[in-house]
Amino acid sequence: MLDLFPSREASPFGRRLKRERGARIPVTVVTGFLGAGKTTLIRRFLKSPEGHGTAVIVNEFGAVGIDDALVRDSAEETVLLGNGCLCCITRTDLQAALRRLIFDRERGTAPPFARVLIETSGLADPAPILQTFSTDRALGGEFHIDVVLTVVDAVNGEAALANAAEARKQVILADRLIISKTDLATPAVVETLTRRLQRLNPRATIDVAVAGALDPNRMIEPATRERSSFIAEAEHGDGIASFVMEREGPVSWADFSRAMETLIALRGPDLLRVKGLLDVAGCRGPVVVQYVQHLAHPPVELDSWPDENRMSRVVFITRNIPERQIRDLFAAVQALAK
Amino acid sequence: MNAPDKNPLTNGYQPVTWNFKLLANDMLGGFGGMGEGMSVQIAPDGRRIIWLAHESAPKNFTAVDVSDPRKPKVVCQTDLPHANMRSNSLETCGNLMAVAYQTSKKDLQPAGFELFDISKPENPKSISFFDCSGPHSRGVHQLWFCDGEYVHCASGSRDFVPTNPGDDQFYRCVDVRNPSKPVEVGRWWMPGTRQGDNVMPPTRHPIDKGFRAHNTNVYPQRPDRCYLAYIDGGMFVLDISDKANPKKVSQWTNSPPYTGFMHTVVPLFDRGLMLVTDESTENNAKDWPKLIWVLDARDESNLVSISTCPLPDHRIYAAAGRFGAHNIHENVPLQTAWHSDQIVLGTFFNGGLRAYDISNPYQPKEIGVFMPPAPPGAPTGTIQMNDVFVDERAVVYTVDRHIGGLYILEMDF
Repeated sequence: MLDLFPSREASPFGRRLKRERGARIPVTVVTGFLGAGKTTLIRRFLKSPEGHGTAVIVNEFGAVGIDDALVRDSAEETVLLGNGCLCCITRTDLQAALRRLIFDRERGTAPPFARVLIETSGLADPAPILQTFSTDRALGGEFHIDVVLTVVDAVNGEAALANAAEARKQVILADRLIISKTDLATPAVVETLTRRLQRLNPRATIDVAVAGALDPNRMIEPATRERSSFIAEAEHGDGIASFVMEREGPVSWADFSRAMETLIALRGPDLLRVKGLLDVAGCRGPVVVQYVQHLAHPPVELDSWPDENRMSRVVFITRNIPERQIRDLFAAVQALAK
Repeated sequence: MNAPDKNPLTNGYQPVTWNFKLLANDMLGGFGGMGEGMSVQIAPDGRRIIWLAHESAPKNFTAVDVSDPRKPKVVCQTDLPHANMRSNSLETCGNLMAVAYQTSKKDLQPAGFELFDISKPENPKSISFFDCSGPHSRGVHQLWFCDGEYVHCASGSRDFVPTNPGDDQFYRCVDVRNPSKPVEVGRWWMPGTRQGDNVMPPTRHPIDKGFRAHNTNVYPQRPDRCYLAYIDGGMFVLDISDKANPKKVSQWTNSPPYTGFMHTVVPLFDRGLMLVTDESTENNAKDWPKLIWVLDARDESNLVSISTCPLPDHRIYAAAGRFGAHNIHENVPLQTAWHSDQIVLGTFFNGGLRAYDISNPYQPKEIGVFMPPAPPGAPTGTIQMNDVFVDERAVVYTVDRHIGGLYILEMDF
């Protein structure tokens, strides 16, 4: 459209945004293994002033309706998704529920909610849920995931992490980790768990909630504000690894996108999450890029850099792809361009 | 479709703030019924002052120090000489301010505009008054003054006898280069609206608001053009390269089938686009839909409507007061104004303040809403957002038509 109606104000990526989500509806995804204390945390949040205007989508696995009944009294709008796990069986239900929220809000039959909170079932793999929001066609034009929270139970967390791959993946893909029920565990157990979580996901900050008591802002603050977002290097087990690719100086958008397209074509399913800020040649602000498996979020340019650091930095969370291969691929694409 | 009184949707009206952050609200000393004149001055002492025209008597204008947008402070509030008039519109340029005066009936005084020296915001000094009164005139409803040289206004005149009494205001250009002696240099009216014209008077609309001028915008990118909204006559692009003889370049109207009252025309020069607004003037959304229209203006002689900015379901908003488009931020060509051809901010009475992303002009998308609770004592029981201005810091100022005064906001998108 810029060809027909050009604007000197616009960037190659469209309107520059003040923040990554632009005007989209912010979404908090709350994951955590069965019984980790997600519902308690959400109920507390909904009763706080910060929780006002939140629409809640609850995904149940098994005992349909119990958690929904717990949160319904305080949420602006609650949608219950039954029949299984959000990540696989009912992902289309999630899309339908989100679309319905938008339509109902437009029609005035739903209150003018300001954010959406998705409580996943304990067994959910967060990656496919993130995909739901990644493209315009898949609701990325309306919603934006501000933060993925994973709740880990201080008493049973260690066992869940040891026994269930889903629990490990929830921790690895989180932006923020919340340890619950610390009042029921010894300090030594909590400390051991904390160290294990740090090893699994060094990028995420770790908060502690006792009986659901957590600063409500921590439920909604965008993950981009986490200071530790770009901490490198973690070996997670299950073949999952994460690392940060950094680069000084402007990046050619054509080179970067060509490398990512190649990577997606070769190993798309194993790119669990890729997210970063790029100093793109010719752009004033940083360009936010995000990929979930084979889907790319539309890149957006921000008005300004969040801090003094102008270095391009991209976090890769991958499965069974050696870091070296990705670095080599980017180097090769760059060399070809020259 | 259910009748509004039986439709459950009409129960849905409630205040909402979406992607705006309220920094402050000032009810302006109990005189918070504001018109459509908002202009920001940087005073000689460095203070940032927003000048606001009142919608109706008894107050004329109010100056508010908004250097700290979180702590606005009224520094000046003036009275009108009598209750049968209003100021409604004003503009500042440096330390000069032009204020419109419109009387409620014809042949009253003072009807015209007044120029003030505002170098001391606490003590504005009158420089001159340009008289536009007459047996068929209510004076000036709106004016545009950004270059320090010419006031472009919607005005009546002693020598103008309209074919219909409702068509009394037309486009006038007044030279104020010598501010103590303003002189009219040109005028234009829609053919058929003045007695003696050689064309038939226009056919009236069912809701008859007059074939008369409203906004008279002129921009330095095209100093030879006036973008003239003409209420029930639609809008005109005028060639004013010869100010003494303005000529019509093109006209665009949506009425009928729409219900008239075209209000503002804002060209987006780089993009070949134009924004045109209606004004809702009837309570309970009787004149719905009143919209912001996006025009493809790449060929100024053939303007093509390509979209409108979407509004929520009017049945929800029909409950109280006006609902629909009115003023938009006009990219006033001053250093104290914000300029954007990507975002449109408009006021919609009980629909509050709304922001739209028009980066794809075929699909404007709502990106922000500020619809505060009804101010205490609001006669309609709702907010009636009337005008909006954004300064170069991107601080948003918006005013209530009845009582709520000034709201200062931050955009959050």
